[in-house]
Amino acid sequence: MTALGDRGYRSERASSGTAGLDRARGGAGDGPWDLLVVDRMLPGLDGLAVIEALRGDNIMTPALVLSALGAVNDRIRGLRAGGDDYLAKPFALGELMARLEALLRRPAAPRETILRVGQLELDLLARLAHRGHRELELLPREFQLLEYMMRREGQVLTRAMLLEHVWNYRFVPQTNLVDVHIGRLRRKLDGPNETPMILSVRGVGFMLHAPA
Amino acid sequence: MHPLRLLRELLRATPFRWALLVAAAFAVCTLVLFGFFYWQTCMYVTANIDGAIMEEASLIAGDPPNEGHHEVLEAIAQRLRDDPRRIKLAGLFAPNSERIAGNVEALPAGLPLDGSAHATSLMRITAGDREPQTVRAVGIRLTSGDVLLIGRDAQEVRWTAAIVGRALALGLLPATCLALLAGAWLSLRAKRRIEVMRRQASRIVSGGLQERLPIRRTRDPLDRLGAIVNRMLDEIEALVRALAGVGEDIAHDIRTPLTRVRATLERGRDQARTLGELQALNDRAIAGLDQSLAIVTALLRISEIDNEQRLTALAPVKLTEIVQEVGELYDPIAEDKGVTLRVETADRTPVIGDRDLLFEAVANLVDNAVKFTPAGGAVRISLLPGGDGPIIRVADTGPGIDPADREAVTRRFYRADKSRGTQGVGLGLSLVAAIVKRHDFTLVISVGPGCVVDLACRAARVASTRAIGSPPLAVSLPLGGSVHLGMSSPAGASVPAEVSVPLRARHLPVQ
Repeated sequence: MTALGDRGYRSERASSGTAGLDRARGGAGDGPWDLLVVDRMLPGLDGLAVIEALRGDNIMTPALVLSALGAVNDRIRGLRAGGDDYLAKPFALGELMARLEALLRRPAAPRETILRVGQLELDLLARLAHRGHRELELLPREFQLLEYMMRREGQVLTRAMLLEHVWNYRFVPQTNLVDVHIGRLRRKLDGPNETPMILSVRGVGFMLHAPA
Repeated sequence: MHPLRLLRELLRATPFRWALLVAAAFAVCTLVLFGFFYWQTCMYVTANIDGAIMEEASLIAGDPPNEGHHEVLEAIAQRLRDDPRRIKLAGLFAPNSERIAGNVEALPAGLPLDGSAHATSLMRITAGDREPQTVRAVGIRLTSGDVLLIGRDAQEVRWTAAIVGRALALGLLPATCLALLAGAWLSLRAKRRIEVMRRQASRIVSGGLQERLPIRRTRDPLDRLGAIVNRMLDEIEALVRALAGVGEDIAHDIRTPLTRVRATLERGRDQARTLGELQALNDRAIAGLDQSLAIVTALLRISEIDNEQRLTALAPVKLTEIVQEVGELYDPIAEDKGVTLRVETADRTPVIGDRDLLFEAVANLVDNAVKFTPAGGAVRISLLPGGDGPIIRVADTGPGIDPADREAVTRRFYRADKSRGTQGVGLGLSLVAAIVKRHDFTLVISVGPGCVVDLACRAARVASTRAIGSPPLAVSLPLGGSVHLGMSSPAGASVPAEVSVPLRARHLPVQ
C-alpha cells in the first residue's frame, strides 16, 4: 500500500473476501477501480471465488492474484478463475509493481502490423527490424523478445515476466538466462555511438525506451 | 479377569462365535448321521423279523397241506411253548374269525391275508392276562378256510431305537462340549495374539516406528497380514528417515545463505558510513535472501513433481524441438562463457510425456553442463536412438562427477565439494531425477572425458501402453563406473489407456 502510494496510486484495503467483493462491485460508493490485487487465502471468501463472482457480474477490472501457493496447477487455477496475472509469495516488490503496471497499461489490441519506438521499427508481417536505416539481423526468439518489449515501451519488465511471455517457460532457470539474451539483443540494437534503448532496472528487470 | 467378564469378552470375540457355530453344525451333522443309523438298523431288524415269521407261517400252513387241524395246532403249541421273552404270537381262527387256538384274542381288523408281514396291533392273551402289543404279523388263509396268524413283537425295533438314542446321548454331548472347548481355546489364543499385535501397534502409533508386529513362521492369515503391515512399516520408516535427512539438508543449505545475510546486515548497520555503502550491503543481503528463496522454490517444485498424482499434460512430444530449443536458449550463455554448444538430432521418435517438464529436465542438464564446463570446453546435446526409445545425451568436457558422488548428485542439495564455489542451489539434478522418475524414463550418469548424462526415454508406442506412475527408485552402482538410475515397473497412479491411445493414433504414425 505504501509502495503504491509512493507511486501516486490511490489504494484501499478490504480485510475479508466478502468485503472485498462488495467494494470491488462499487458497494461502498468508491470506485470504479482500475485494478484489483486479490490474495488467494482470504477470510470469509476465497480470493478466486471473489474474482469468479465479479466476472459473473461482468465486472472485468483487471485482477492480480497473490498466493503462497506457487505450484503450476495453482497458477493455472488462478488464471482460469478469471485472474489476469498470478504472483506467488514471496515476491520482490519490484516484481509486483512491474506486473501491476503491466496490467494497468495492457497493450492495445495487436492489430498494428508495424511497431515503432523512437527510431526503432518492427515490421511484423515482413519480419524485419530497423533502427533508423540500419537493418537488424535478429534470430526468431530475439524478434519475439523485441516485439514484446516494444508493445510495452517504457514499462519495467521483470525477468520472470519475460520468461513467461516470450519463452513460455514456467520454470525459473538457475543461470541468468534472460540477462544474457537481453545482452545479445542490446548489442544488435545499439550500434556504436547510439544511445542504449534497453535500460536495466536494478534489482527488477529491463525497460525499453525511446531515447529523447 | 473376572470369570463372568471373561465369558462376556469371549462371547463377543468373533473367533468364539465361529467356534459356537462350528459346534452347532457338528451337532446337527451327528444327529442326521444317527438318524440314518437308526433308520437303517430298524429296516434291518424289521426285515429279519419279517423273514422269520413269514418262513414260519408258510412252514405251518403248507407242507403237507390239508393234513387237518392237528398238525397246525401242534405246530402252534410248539411255537408258543418256547417263548421266554413273550414275543412270539400265533393263532388259528375259524373262517367266521372265531378263535380256535393260540395266544391272540382276535384277528386284527384290516390285516391282509396275503402271507406277507405287516405292522399291526393286537391283544395278547396268556393264562387270562390280556396285553396289547404292537407286532409284525403274517396272516394266511389255509385251504381249510381257517386263518393262520403268526406274529412277533416289534420290541427289538424299540430296543434298537433305545440303543441308538443312548449312544447319541453318550457321544453327542461330550463331542459338542469338546468342540466348544476347542473353539474357546482357539479363540482365546487368537485373541491373545491380536492383543499382542494391538499393543505393539499402539506402541508404533505412539512413535515407535522401529517396532514391528510379532510374526511366527506360519502362513496363517494373521501372520500374512502382519507381514504386510511390517513391510508397510519398513517403507514408511525408510521414507520418514529420508524425509528427516532432507529436512536436515534443507536446514543446512538455507542456513548458510541466511547466516551470510545476517552478517552482511550487521556489517551494514555497524560500518556503513554513506548511503551508498549501506545500499551496496543491502543489495548483497537481498541477493542472499533471493538465493534462500530460490532453494525453497526449487524444493517446492521438486515435491510438486514428486507428489503430482499423474502427469496432467500428457501428449506426444517431439524431442527434437525440445533439444533444439534448449540449445537455442543456452547458446548465448555458452558463448559468453567461451564454451562451444553443439546440438545433434539423429533420432526423431516421438515420446509421450509432459512437454514442459521434459523441457525443464533437458534445460537443467544443459544448465549444469554449461555451468561446470570451463572456458574453451564444449557441451554437446545429442538425440540418439536407443533400445527402448530415444536417448537425450548431454556431454561436457567439465570435471565430470566422481564415481563416489554419482548417486548422491541426484539427491536433493547434494553438490560435490569441488563445485561448492559455483553459483546454483544444487537441486538441478534432483529436479531432473524427479521428472525422469515421473515419466518412468531412465537417467544414467557416466564418465566420458568430462561428464555424460543420458536421459533414456521410452518411445511413444511403448510409453503409451505403460502406465506412468511413481515407481520406486532403484539406484545401483555397477563396476563399470557409471550410475544407473533405474525404475522398476510402475505401480502407482496410472494414465488411463484411452487418453494416450487415441493421441497416438491421431498424431503419431508408427515409425
